[in-house]
Amino acid sequence: MDFFERFAVPHPSFAIYASMVAIGLTVVAVLAGLTYFKKWGYLWREWLTTVDHKRIGIMYLISALLMLFRGGVDAIMMRAQLSAPDLKLLDAQHYNEIFTTHGIVMILFMAMPFIMFFMNFVIPLQIGARDVAFPRLNALSFWLFFMGAMLFNISFIIGGSPDAGWTSYFPLAGNEFSTSVGTNYYMIAIQIAGIGTLMTGINFITTILKMRAPGMTLLKMPMFTWSAFIANVIIVFAFPVLAVLLAMGTLDRQFGTNFFTMDNGGMDMLWANIFWVWGHPEVYILILPAFGLYSEIISTFARRNLYGYKSMVGSMVLISLLSFLVWAHHFFTMGQGALTNSIFSITTMAIAVPTGVKIFNWLLTLRKGKIVITTPMLYSLLFIPLFTLGGVTGVMLAMSAADYQYHNTMFLVAHFHNVIIPGVVFAMLAGLTYYWPKMFGFMLNERIGKWTAWLLSIGFILSFMPMYITGLDGQARRMFTYSESTGFGPLNMVSFIGAGIMAIGFVLIVYNIYYSTRYASRNISNDPWDARTLEWATHTPVPEYNFAITPQVNSIEAFWDMKKKGHVIFKGEYEKIHMPNNSGIPFIMSCIFFVWGFSFVFSLWIPVIVTTIGIFVCMALRSFENDHGRYISVEEIEETETRLRGA
Amino acid sequence: MSELFPLKQVMGFVFSLILTAVALSVYFFNLSFSTGMIILLVTAFLQAGLQLVVFMHAGETEDKGAIYTNVYYGLIIALMTIFGTLLVLVWDM
Amino acid sequence: MKMDHSLPLEYSTEENKLKILGFWIFLGAEIMLFATLFATYFTLVGRTAGGPTGAGIFEITPVLIETLLLLTSSFTVGLGIHAMRLGRKKAMIGFFITTLLLGLAFIGVEIYEFVHYVHVGAGLQTSAFTSILLTTLGTHGIHVTIGLFWGLFIVLQVWKRGLTPQTANKSFIFSLYWHFLDIIWIFIFSFIYLKGMM
Repeated sequence: MDFFERFAVPHPSFAIYASMVAIGLTVVAVLAGLTYFKKWGYLWREWLTTVDHKRIGIMYLISALLMLFRGGVDAIMMRAQLSAPDLKLLDAQHYNEIFTTHGIVMILFMAMPFIMFFMNFVIPLQIGARDVAFPRLNALSFWLFFMGAMLFNISFIIGGSPDAGWTSYFPLAGNEFSTSVGTNYYMIAIQIAGIGTLMTGINFITTILKMRAPGMTLLKMPMFTWSAFIANVIIVFAFPVLAVLLAMGTLDRQFGTNFFTMDNGGMDMLWANIFWVWGHPEVYILILPAFGLYSEIISTFARRNLYGYKSMVGSMVLISLLSFLVWAHHFFTMGQGALTNSIFSITTMAIAVPTGVKIFNWLLTLRKGKIVITTPMLYSLLFIPLFTLGGVTGVMLAMSAADYQYHNTMFLVAHFHNVIIPGVVFAMLAGLTYYWPKMFGFMLNERIGKWTAWLLSIGFILSFMPMYITGLDGQARRMFTYSESTGFGPLNMVSFIGAGIMAIGFVLIVYNIYYSTRYASRNISNDPWDARTLEWATHTPVPEYNFAITPQVNSIEAFWDMKKKGHVIFKGEYEKIHMPNNSGIPFIMSCIFFVWGFSFVFSLWIPVIVTTIGIFVCMALRSFENDHGRYISVEEIEETETRLRGA
Repeated sequence: MSELFPLKQVMGFVFSLILTAVALSVYFFNLSFSTGMIILLVTAFLQAGLQLVVFMHAGETEDKGAIYTNVYYGLIIALMTIFGTLLVLVWDM
Repeated sequence: MKMDHSLPLEYSTEENKLKILGFWIFLGAEIMLFATLFATYFTLVGRTAGGPTGAGIFEITPVLIETLLLLTSSFTVGLGIHAMRLGRKKAMIGFFITTLLLGLAFIGVEIYEFVHYVHVGAGLQTSAFTSILLTTLGTHGIHVTIGLFWGLFIVLQVWKRGLTPQTANKSFIFSLYWHFLDIIWIFIFSFIYLKGMM
């Protein structure tokens, strides 16, 4: 039995045992359902082995929504625990585990895949390509991300959750203070998902640089493609830093090295430093594609072209460089000298300038526009004031002297939620509503959608504005409770109510999907929003080859100019189309990675060696494989096109 | 046989050996720290540039611009990270 | 498969061009990977905790041998690509095998070096300095080892399938990888060894 004891949860509670049972039952139900409805073959052929960017995108979306609810439950538990002084819903250890997993799940396993979903689904369509540059690598990216996320999520029922915060600072995350395998999960699961993300970055840079439709020069690319391009550049240069950091953390915890230890010359501050060398660019990886989505949506529903296209592009290029120059503002209080803090204060304030340029560009796009308030537009209009508020508190935090007051308080928590929720989450929901008809052939209900947007905004204001005040009054973050004499009680209750309203908003999204699936009209055009860019120029649902004839572009808003100015973008005859073959190797290799990661977490070296060999065998098989893809014949294209046009 | 040994690459190799020999001078002669570092920085970056242009054919296709931008961008961020880290953790701690 | 005969074989198809550019971008990521290791190395280099220092354990002879082996292998893989562009399959395979043998010798000397370090009390766990020293060298060494297997697979494919757009493309990408490892070694040689022994 000694062998199995290591898998036990070190600090169990009724809720954890209940989750174990629930997870077990769900897995059994899914497996039984697949067998009963004979869907195994369908699942394997159409999804697990697919290399189609649209399907991979949809799988990213499903993962992101699942993780949104996992992270959301964490959030509600935290707000409930803090809603009144001296509550005992959670103990300190569980609270630690929950704020840790909330942070990681929301940033790396919710926001990241949500962005990957948009990039996968939209970019090839928006630049008029058939697929991404490396379709099979794309499948591998997804499955590595997915396995990393699953590995991370099983931590709370097998072996214990990480509990050292999403930043996992040493020495707290070292063996001395984090004795369970929880932090090993952190190191390994994020490593696996991070490899997938890095490959996505390489894939999309190549795609955007080399596969644009004829005539689409760099300065004629739609704004979302530009923003995703910059985000991918940041991914490629930031994620290797994370890979090295996590590898060093693993070495410290499992191989006794001395990078971040307190003795033998180790330097715990080094972890914080390198973490934020990756961590700050990561923030911009999240926000830039969100800005891109807002740009598309605002110009579509203001019914005019985006104001200041070149300044938008310029500001993003500037952000991509500056984002690597501000990291030390996350630890102004660590003890480095005034010179360093001053330098990083100035670079941090400087990065607010290009962001401000973007805000003004959106405002000037709205000016003289004929604004149509749809759900995506409502999110965008709510985003502008709320996000600006978060930006302004960001500049407050950027002043290193003042930061000694704000550091590690609820003020900071309020600030980064204030930029992430209106900035990223609203963009994701706006984009989801906007692209839903292109994916599934019907629109989400507008009435429920607008209710959701208002509930989320009101809930957001109620949850996070009080934190600015309690933060300035000195309420520390990551404390599992507080005494009544602090006077934090009433404002924290307001926060809890706000969190509850937000939860209702998120449940409404699910209800909207259900409601619209049942009742929405299927009789919609290919372009239900009267949009401006190429992704709306093809059929709904999108055929597997995207465009029967490769579009030829000579303006930024190619589709709009086709509709309004009579530009011809589809010229010529059908030709046979070259498509990549499906492959099971990405999925199988990622499954091996999962076993590798799990064994690594528990230091089971024999399975680690076996699976490492397995991973290399998969790579060798890929090297020797001779796969030239397949062709879709002209007759088949004609048949598909006629069917889609008729419908 | 001689067509297998193009002059450009042979010269590149010879030059890289010379650069290595120059770099070695910091070991064999008693130079000041700053002189030594200048020699090492110059020889290392020259070597890297040599490999990039002569052997890796970085500039031979229409993707020249993308490739050089990628390398320079990587280099700039790499140097910012290294010197920034030293500033935070060593020089100004 | 559309082929463009004005370009060398490795660039001849659209897919080949994509792969070469994609690999360059991957090398951009590798620059950051090693930059992080270097940043850590320079931060921790003085933190020896009373254990051995760089000047105390580095030996010029094996380091110089390693440098010459890797520089020469970078030269031979370049000649291999040149032979490939002339369509000289046998010469190309010869150069590639020479490259791999030089790489193997490099790994051999590096293993000797590691054994020496452990022998003089500079193991992975000794101090922050030895941890980052061995991790940086080890990361480069693992890259070379992976390169050896990869190169072997490519030699086998060229031998069996001849010089096709696919095999030429793989060979060219491998050569990029190999040259890149040489560049990294130059920096290790200059700023870890020579600076340490200065």
